[in-house]
Amino acid sequence: MLFSFNDQLSKNLIPYDFDFNLALFDNDFKVISPELFLVLSTISLLVYGVIGSTSQKKNYPILVSNLAWLAQQAIFFTIILISNNPLTHGVIFYNSLVVDDFTLFFKIVVLCGAFFSILISLDYIKKEGLNLFEFIILILLSTCSMLFLISSLDFISMYLAIEFQSLCFYVMAALKRNSEFSTEAGLKYFLLGAFSSGILLFGCSLIYGFTGVTNFSELGKIFTYFGEPGLRGCELGMIFILVGFLFKLTAVPFHMWAPDVYEGAPTSVTAFFSIAPKVSVLAVFVKLFFSGFYDFMIPWQTVCILSSLASMIWGSLAAMSQNKIKRLLAFSSIGHIGYMLIGICCGTVEGLQALFIYLVIYIVITVNLFAIVLTPLTRDFTHSLQRVKYTTDFAQLGKTNTILAITLTVTMFSIAGIPPLAGFYSKAYLFFAAMSSSQYLLALVGVITSVISCFYYIRIVKIMYFEASSGASYAEQKHRMGQKERRFSHISKSTSIPLGITFFIILFFMIYPSPLYLACHKAALAICL
Amino acid sequence: MIEYLGILIYFIVAGALALIILGLSFIFATRKADPEKISAYECGFDPFDDARSRFDIQFYLVAILFIIFDLEVTFLFPWALTLNKTGFFGFWSMMVFLGILTIGFLYEWRKGALDWS
Repeated sequence: MLFSFNDQLSKNLIPYDFDFNLALFDNDFKVISPELFLVLSTISLLVYGVIGSTSQKKNYPILVSNLAWLAQQAIFFTIILISNNPLTHGVIFYNSLVVDDFTLFFKIVVLCGAFFSILISLDYIKKEGLNLFEFIILILLSTCSMLFLISSLDFISMYLAIEFQSLCFYVMAALKRNSEFSTEAGLKYFLLGAFSSGILLFGCSLIYGFTGVTNFSELGKIFTYFGEPGLRGCELGMIFILVGFLFKLTAVPFHMWAPDVYEGAPTSVTAFFSIAPKVSVLAVFVKLFFSGFYDFMIPWQTVCILSSLASMIWGSLAAMSQNKIKRLLAFSSIGHIGYMLIGICCGTVEGLQALFIYLVIYIVITVNLFAIVLTPLTRDFTHSLQRVKYTTDFAQLGKTNTILAITLTVTMFSIAGIPPLAGFYSKAYLFFAAMSSSQYLLALVGVITSVISCFYYIRIVKIMYFEASSGASYAEQKHRMGQKERRFSHISKSTSIPLGITFFIILFFMIYPSPLYLACHKAALAICL
Repeated sequence: MIEYLGILIYFIVAGALALIILGLSFIFATRKADPEKISAYECGFDPFDDARSRFDIQFYLVAILFIIFDLEVTFLFPWALTLNKTGFFGFWSMMVFLGILTIGFLYEWRKGALDWS
């Protein structure tokens, strides 16, 4: 409406013919109206938060949980707007953004991830006294950037969105200023993230220098005849971009920052890190390499296969010696990136479909796991709040909170890939896809490493049911400490709802998997066709 | 680019002139250093304590604010020059950009980043 008004104004007042501009952008703003809504609501929440929290009259209220609820509302409305937007296909803003089934699927996944990661950290924020409303604003801003990243179709928009996202993450990792670990994590994340972005950007500039094109689909057209002598430089640039992405995804040779960052950052931030950004980065990775560089398959497939093998092996072996839960989850997520790369290595529609299914189920499992990790621990009679830090903190959970223990058991079995649960189906589908595209080595190593990784997932189950805390037997412990037991505090409603939903999905996915399979198939087809 | 040649020559001449003025005082002035003369000047007293002190975070804040708004000006230059070509669309695009920056500025203001208490 605004622009049609301008249109009339311009016709009357200005002699230049720039109807061109206005007509060009006429539908573009309608197409990205959900993103615009999210950006606008983020800005309004920022203003609300800063004015409210510095108000002397109201005695400087702590607005973090208030803003968290409002942010969830904004995300919820964005999901509704995105899924009901009548303009579902199109390339907008001078070919820099694209909207199709693929972006729709990934945007909804990202938004749901952000929604749940705010929901599960509400209780933690309150108990831990993380009284910074900026945390919520940063989550919203990075969610906006992820939406733009998912729909970007151009090196420039891709890089800008990646940097927008990363910048929010650097701040979030160092959010807890009085904790040395958090600041260290922030610094480490910043340095390695900036380094990887530099590599990515160098790759982009090489490709732009050799082709003069930054658009993914036009690159795809240029590279249709692979092997011409002028394209060696493009191959180099492509490898640089690949390395940049593998950095962002924490695949193995480039994973070194991930365990420290996951360990050091506040747990709610870690939850967000492990839920949301993988989705968006994987989305743009898949889009770039399947629509832009598909004819460079041989070199990038080799790199992906090596990285996938290394990630699976290192993720399963290194996690075995971890005693801290967040570090363990970091190595486990490295292993899972290895599995996801299998789907990319296949280079087929089935591979992508399996990858998307795996991604969704991995996110569901991660939400469940972090909901439990974020629940504060208490000791009876002393009431000292304590974070879940070591795997042994789960000791006696089977006795103190049976339902939570059952949930964690099912999640652990699922992430380890035990048959009737969701995690098994996602892994099996991935291995089937690998077998059908002749990636026998990947499938074999995947199966073996998932067997190995069962060890440390199921060790937590063993700790929950059969181990007293800190090594001593249960009776001895009880005798020594009187009634002082480590137990989880009362689980709030905001944590228990996502726990319940994800538990339900994990347990009953096998009964009706077709909606997810179909959605993933549709998304994969949108990329491959 | 040729018009920058004059500026280059100007830089060289200015640098040479500064070196000459600095060098002349070395050549013609008498220098007799003694410990009292080369010690740090703190209003005539000996230094009270260690010269290292906690650095005020305000300086960083001002520096960061400067960088942000300096970048804003870099974006404003081409906009101002081409406004008659980009018309109302260009004008409103820049207004959106400035609006977002203003909200950032509002945030800083309310947070007290600009107060030197």
